[in-house]
Amino acid sequence: MANVLAILICGFLGGCLRYWLGEVIPTGTGFPWSLVLINLLGSGLLAWLSHARRLTAKWPEALTVGLGVGGVGAFTTFSTFSVTTVTLLEHQQWRMAVAYLAVTVLGGLICSALGVWSARRWWGLPLVKL
Amino acid sequence: MAALAGLGAAMGALGRYATTKWVTGRWGNRWPFATLMINLLGSLLLGLLTGWQWETWPTVIFGTGVLGGFTTYSTFSHELVMLLDQRRYGAALGYGLASVGGGLLLAALGLFVGLRFAG
Repeated sequence: MANVLAILICGFLGGCLRYWLGEVIPTGTGFPWSLVLINLLGSGLLAWLSHARRLTAKWPEALTVGLGVGGVGAFTTFSTFSVTTVTLLEHQQWRMAVAYLAVTVLGGLICSALGVWSARRWWGLPLVKL
Repeated sequence: MAALAGLGAAMGALGRYATTKWVTGRWGNRWPFATLMINLLGSLLLGLLTGWQWETWPTVIFGTGVLGGFTTYSTFSHELVMLLDQRRYGAALGYGLASVGGGLLLAALGLFVGLRFAG
């Protein structure tokens, strides 16, 4: 029950923040920078949160679940990423579509890897080696 | 509008939590099926909704909110890195291709069908 409540609250905040960033980040060239930023930032944060055990062990589990599944999970999104890429392809903006896809996928991998690595390095539990 | 997106996203995130629990309880979590199913279904539905060109507020609630919160990029990316970390390169490649390729195909299908229903 605590998990559900935490997911609802954090999910609300994550969704609000994603909408707000989509409104305030300018799309001058038509390149969907706001969602790139959201998904890369979120990928790094979730990976870090999932491995920063020495930190997350200090607070209730519901907070970690809420922040991870609700907050960062709802902040980042896959459906808009798919639809935006298809829309770019539909408008024959091939180069922008490929760039968007590559930046999101490769950037996401790098950010996630950095999150995992830094959390294990500085916030991991020394006894548990996974 | 931001609050509408937030309300939808809270519902979507809860739906993702419940779906993931159910799927991993049934089929285990050795392969990230739950996130794959969620992201593919969400891409199809958002394609439909976008093609349909509904009014602004329901699109914000259901599109940006519910489907945006239901699907997730951060978990996809993290699961991909964990598969690579476990040196399960084939599984990582399959998961990445199925998510991105499948997401694009289903979003395109959704947009196509949605446009048919648009006035």
